[in-house]
Amino acid sequence: MNPLLYFWLFLKASLFSTGGFGNLPSLHHDLLARGWATESQFAESMMVGQISPGPNGLWVISLGYLTDGLRGTLCALLAVSLPPFLVLIVERIYRAVEGHPAVEGFMRGLTLAISGIFVVILLNLLHSAGMITPFWSSVNARPLTIAIAALLLGSTKRVPFPLIIILGAVVGLLWH
Amino acid sequence: MLAPTPAAGPLLREWLLIGLQSFGGGNATFALIRQTFVERKHWIEAGEFNRLFALVQIAPGINLLALNILIGKRLLGWRGILVSLFGLLLPSVAVATLLTAGYARVQHTAIARNALHGFLPATVGLGCVTSIQMAHTSLKEAKKEGRLSLVLGLVLLAASGLAVGKLGWAVLPVLFLAGCIQAMATGWLRRKAPVEEPTR
Repeated sequence: MNPLLYFWLFLKASLFSTGGFGNLPSLHHDLLARGWATESQFAESMMVGQISPGPNGLWVISLGYLTDGLRGTLCALLAVSLPPFLVLIVERIYRAVEGHPAVEGFMRGLTLAISGIFVVILLNLLHSAGMITPFWSSVNARPLTIAIAALLLGSTKRVPFPLIIILGAVVGLLWH
Repeated sequence: MLAPTPAAGPLLREWLLIGLQSFGGGNATFALIRQTFVERKHWIEAGEFNRLFALVQIAPGINLLALNILIGKRLLGWRGILVSLFGLLLPSVAVATLLTAGYARVQHTAIARNALHGFLPATVGLGCVTSIQMAHTSLKEAKKEGRLSLVLGLVLLAASGLAVGKLGWAVLPVLFLAGCIQAMATGWLRRKAPVEEPTR
């Protein structure tokens, strides 16, 4: 594993995305293609990201640790800390183009694409863990029930996300 | 009334506390930041805070880190940025690393594997919630521009997912393409039916 390239993949993913999980599609593609991460490492680091304090975006800290130990942690930390500094430049530019339709449109298109790709990746996660099969030819009730229950509970905005994750783990322990 | 600008020490202390207490992800962290700086300490005005938060939506990377940087700069310049970033990241990163290290040690035991079969689908469900919330905000904006724009939004959403998931296209070009298509569409739609500017 080339540490510089590894760092660049993390930096690139954060640089060209916005939001805590915006870097996921790009990282998912690049690290998997090189065999530097597995599907389940993505799921595990997202899980840690959801239950740790601070921004969700720190899930990459966990991904760094799982894929390359403490060196990976530091690479990931540096890679997610640098891009937000560009907000200082954005603040200046935004004054000039504030409210321009094309700027708003671009940001919206970006967000929609990230949302769409995100769902595909999530389904891939279940698929690669052997929990669902392609084209739903046979459906395993347990993971689907848990996923849908988590989605419904999470949508109410009343139940904290970490609690839902812990509930999921408990259900996994009791129902197998 | 705004309180006087804090010194570096108290500023660091508040960020450390936020970094330690904000279990519950981005929404919890955001709520805690607002509560601390606007309501409890009165270091930043509510309107100013909203403006900063709107700005970080279009900045690259983690929005809350960008917000952290803007708040730090507003209060104490570059020194404020360093103090703020360090204060928020130190506890959060330490906890995330420890949790991961702990998980890495037990991941091959039967208990951990059974737990994984529960929390992995739960994580997927919650990921869908995040995804739906992001898309919802954008589609609401699109709806204001008319039905055509809403349909385009839904098409972009589905097409991006299919392009990456089924056709195996690279992610960044898809994101860029979606951005450009929507930029042109919004530009065209607004020229056709300009949104009325509020009179001042």
